[in-house]
Amino acid sequence: MEQIILEQPILLSTVLVPIAAAMASWALGDRVKEDVHAGLNGGALLYSLVIYLALAWRFGLDKIVRDPWVWDVPGLGRFSMIFDAMVFPVLVGIALVTGLVAIYSVPYMRHRFEEMEHEGVKAPGWGAYFMMYTMFAAAMLGTVMTTNTVEFYLFLELTLIPSFLLIAFYGYGDRVRIAILYMLWTQMGAVLFLIGALALGFNVGFDFYDPATGRFMLGFGDEGLAGGLATAVLAAMTIGLLVKMAVFGVHIWLPYAHAEAPTPISALLSPNLIGIGGVMLLRIVYTAFPSGFSSMAPILLFWAVATMIYGGFMALQQTDFKRLLAYSSVSQMGYMMLGLASISVYGFAGMILHYLVHAYGKAILFLTAGILITMLHGLRSIPRMGGLAAKMPVTAALALIGFMNITGIPPMPGLWSEYLLVRGAVEYVFSRGVLEFVALGGGLLLAIGLSTAYSFLTMKRIFYGSLPDHLKEARDAGGSLTLPLVALAAAGLLTFLFIYWMLDPLMAILSQVYG
Amino acid sequence: MEEAPMSYIMVWLAPWLGAVLVLLMHRVGGRAKGLVGVASLLVSAIFSTLLLQRALASEEPLHFAAEWVPSLGVTVGYYADALAAIMAFVVAWLSFLIAVYSLEYMGHDPGQTRYWFFFTFFVGSMEFLVLADNLVAMFIGWEGTGLASYALIGHWFTDEEDKWVGDPGRKALGIPMWFEPSHSGLRALVFTRLGDVGFLVGIAVLHIMLGTTSLEAMAANPAGWAALLASKGILAAFLAFFIMGALAKSAQFPFHEWLVTAMTGPTSVSALIHAATMVKAGVYFLLRVTPILAGAASALRVTSPEVYHTIEGFFAWIAIIGGFTAFMMATMALVSRELKLILAFSTASQLGYMFLATAAGALTGTAALGVFAGLSHLVSHAVFKASLFLAAGAIIHAVHSRFIDDMGGLAAYMPATFIAMLLASLSLAGLPPFMGFWTKDTVLHAAHEAHAQVAFMLGFITALLTAAYTMRMVLRVFLYEPSNHVAKHPPHEAGKLMLVPYALLAVISLAGGALWPKLEEGFAEVLSEKTLGLGTPLHLEPSVSLMAASVGMVVAGLGVSFYVYHILVAKPMETISRIPILYKLHTFLYDRWFINAIYYRVVVDGLKALSRAIYNYIDQAVVDNLYHRFLPWAIMGASSLLWKTLEHWIDTGFHVSLVNGVLSFSDRVRRMQTGILNHYILFLWLGLTVMLVLITWLAGW
Repeated sequence: MEQIILEQPILLSTVLVPIAAAMASWALGDRVKEDVHAGLNGGALLYSLVIYLALAWRFGLDKIVRDPWVWDVPGLGRFSMIFDAMVFPVLVGIALVTGLVAIYSVPYMRHRFEEMEHEGVKAPGWGAYFMMYTMFAAAMLGTVMTTNTVEFYLFLELTLIPSFLLIAFYGYGDRVRIAILYMLWTQMGAVLFLIGALALGFNVGFDFYDPATGRFMLGFGDEGLAGGLATAVLAAMTIGLLVKMAVFGVHIWLPYAHAEAPTPISALLSPNLIGIGGVMLLRIVYTAFPSGFSSMAPILLFWAVATMIYGGFMALQQTDFKRLLAYSSVSQMGYMMLGLASISVYGFAGMILHYLVHAYGKAILFLTAGILITMLHGLRSIPRMGGLAAKMPVTAALALIGFMNITGIPPMPGLWSEYLLVRGAVEYVFSRGVLEFVALGGGLLLAIGLSTAYSFLTMKRIFYGSLPDHLKEARDAGGSLTLPLVALAAAGLLTFLFIYWMLDPLMAILSQVYG
Repeated sequence: MEEAPMSYIMVWLAPWLGAVLVLLMHRVGGRAKGLVGVASLLVSAIFSTLLLQRALASEEPLHFAAEWVPSLGVTVGYYADALAAIMAFVVAWLSFLIAVYSLEYMGHDPGQTRYWFFFTFFVGSMEFLVLADNLVAMFIGWEGTGLASYALIGHWFTDEEDKWVGDPGRKALGIPMWFEPSHSGLRALVFTRLGDVGFLVGIAVLHIMLGTTSLEAMAANPAGWAALLASKGILAAFLAFFIMGALAKSAQFPFHEWLVTAMTGPTSVSALIHAATMVKAGVYFLLRVTPILAGAASALRVTSPEVYHTIEGFFAWIAIIGGFTAFMMATMALVSRELKLILAFSTASQLGYMFLATAAGALTGTAALGVFAGLSHLVSHAVFKASLFLAAGAIIHAVHSRFIDDMGGLAAYMPATFIAMLLASLSLAGLPPFMGFWTKDTVLHAAHEAHAQVAFMLGFITALLTAAYTMRMVLRVFLYEPSNHVAKHPPHEAGKLMLVPYALLAVISLAGGALWPKLEEGFAEVLSEKTLGLGTPLHLEPSVSLMAASVGMVVAGLGVSFYVYHILVAKPMETISRIPILYKLHTFLYDRWFINAIYYRVVVDGLKALSRAIYNYIDQAVVDNLYHRFLPWAIMGASSLLWKTLEHWIDTGFHVSLVNGVLSFSDRVRRMQTGILNHYILFLWLGLTVMLVLITWLAGW
């Protein structure tokens, strides 16, 4: 795979420009209106999006694009930034969702500020909100483009602090406790990863991509570490990132954090942040330990299907819309993990694509929850809803599109990722005997069946049936509460139609690096 | 290779474009959206006719493929062998006629945009599926029909009582037996999606082996991949997964339940689902893969008998499932009180016939016979069932009730509808010379030839039941004594836009039947020579004795109903309620063999209970408590324990004992300060000795 070195540090700029906007927002504080903040920060994030699209357009996605700067950190390897077909869907997912949600934040947070004032709480104002918001978003962009484990860890830490504060300041319910809980959990995940990364780094190296030669350092952990240590390092790094993903067993922080975060932040946490764990498991951990990872695959595959099913079962039990979506995210992380555990190019491609699909779908759904909260006086309880499609047809249609994404119904790109994931998983069991084959098929039947069931049951409970009296006044939101969702839906449709543009180079790079 | 022009993609593209246009026109009122929809379907129908003409005239299948996703080998275009071209043609024209009917039938519905969007999307998806040259594209069309059916079945999502299906208040085993539109839509989607996952697994398996999912590649050397699967021990499992989507889509047991309640949609939608789209997709899929699988079986018959037997076993199972579904659903139709529901049971039953025919044909060793029988019955059923549903829609609309108890004597009020429905019904009943007679006969013929005794007997008895429930329906609606309801609200004949489509279809089912003996040979020949996986011409050898026997069954069925409902003008329910055993049997049939109730009791309630138990006892009680209560408690406990013990010890160690120690040491040192010179000299010498010893020791001497 050819490496192209940019003349200017454009990739870094996609992180720094949003950070600059964040700082400017902080400095401006209450001196400008919230719309200016939204324009500034949303604009900065959409700048990053445009850059990614332009780079893909200019160089094609069949090359690895690298920033000119390589920062040699004594003892910690080299920090640089790269952009390729593997991270393109992830970066688009982050930049698009965060950019659009910045706009959505204005009406939503206006409502939230009023609500908090009612409760007698004085929360930090718009400047602080947008500063933290955009820092969070920019740090996520940074994580994905890194070439070095410590560099990745630093960006990961940078995501944590603003998101922690956003929950603590603007969240719902027992927000401070939940923010701390979130902090402890994800910190634990990050530190586990760091322990592994340091042990790997001091023994072998920190770079998982060599900026000089333009190659992924496939197998550098497998080769450089002795058996026992390799296993320990692999386990620490894997479990650390699985905690970030919130797969079954270490998922329990997610329903709290994602349900009680202010809704725009839920829409960032849920698809964007947690999915990074899956993608970077491939890019860092699998790259370092292809054979060690492969030997764990049966466990991971089983764990993945268990997570898909478990999340589905839990989603069915929820009466709070946001909590339901949070458990749905747990299940969706099972989907991503399934692709990873299949150790096949198809599964890997499915996982990466599913990151984007889940970003579209879950962002739309959380924002739908936000519309209901804003328009219907904080309404989140599903049993108190019903028949809303009659009053809110646009919202209902958008929610349907959201669910179509996560259940893989065309014309949404979930269809593609679902096929790739199934394709990868089936490949794994194909030559392993009838028992494994039937067990996997049965597991998928139950898992995908449950996803369909909770998705469309939720549509029914919220939007169909007779309209209760207290919702007679409901109406569609319109404006910047709705347009971001429409844009996400449109992006989903375009991705479905033009999937080859993203998928073909993705399959090519995956085959070349890992095939 | 025949040149294949791109323009024929309009068969599926035109309806999809129509859908987009309808969406863009969402603010336009009146009939505009309906007209756009109808126009797009007309375009599709015209192109499907041209395509059919070209495909039948061409030596090779007409194949146009544009790359869509090269890395997955997915192309778009069309693959028109005889099977696909005929199917596309039937789907397009029927959908067009149903759409014309909808112009009037749905003319005053407030949900015009939704209706026409999903209607055209439905047809586009179906045509995309039919004309796909690879399985992934087929799956996309397949899922598209699933989405559209979900939306259309739940079209009246506000769930008013007049849109329900079933008897409000009735319960079986404690489970409600009435269904709102939103509930029915959900059921349709969940039931069919379950099967779809199996389908997807099957596609993945083929993709792994062949490196592509193209139908031609699949048909090129089926023995090769079948043997490979058998060598891995997963051939039977693969077949079970692969066919699951078709079973669910075509409402075969055990997936049949969704179709029954799908009646909550507008009746035009029922016509669309039952005649042209959706449920026929499953049959079509079976027709597509049967020649390929049968080819694998016959190629391996000698070399690998176990593979041969696995595939034969698969077909035997499909035949049994088809026959059983045909029989079971017919028994339910006998007792139903809702006009649309009778037709719905009938559809599932007739689809069972198609499954039976196709699989049995393959069992005879001549897959072409199965494809011919299955497709013939598919086409004739499509024609008469569309007519029946559309007529039923007109009747329900005129009477304002879906129950046949509220009808009776309608022949006087709706004579044209009566004649149309009578013709279509006789075709359904299988009376000569209607199309339904001929095609049902090929079904039974195939089953008989295959020596599939059980399946054949089920199918044979079903012929009698079908005639009986059809005659009962016609009589109860049109000639039976008028109900009070009809007397109070005299119904009116349907408008022309509604009447013409179903009258036309009824006439076709008669005319088609009259011409059938002439057309049959040619049809069988074209189909068997120009369908993927077939190739040798099929020669039909009808069995006169079988034909006579099946006519006997039909006449008996018609006769019984005629006697009961026309000559006696009896009220069988009065008799049935007096005799406990009959009443129990009636309840059994009326409550759909309790299968729905059992599903809810066991599967739905079971999963609900499981989900609740996992949430309460694992997620909350174990996981949440473990991490968020026990661990904090344990950590706090450990901290407090350490605080009280180790920390206290260290604290006292440093701050009390050590201090005291230092103090007492200095005290002792101070007491050494005696002021006596001898003592000092002694200490000096002692100290020097100790140092000397230490130094010698450290220096290693």
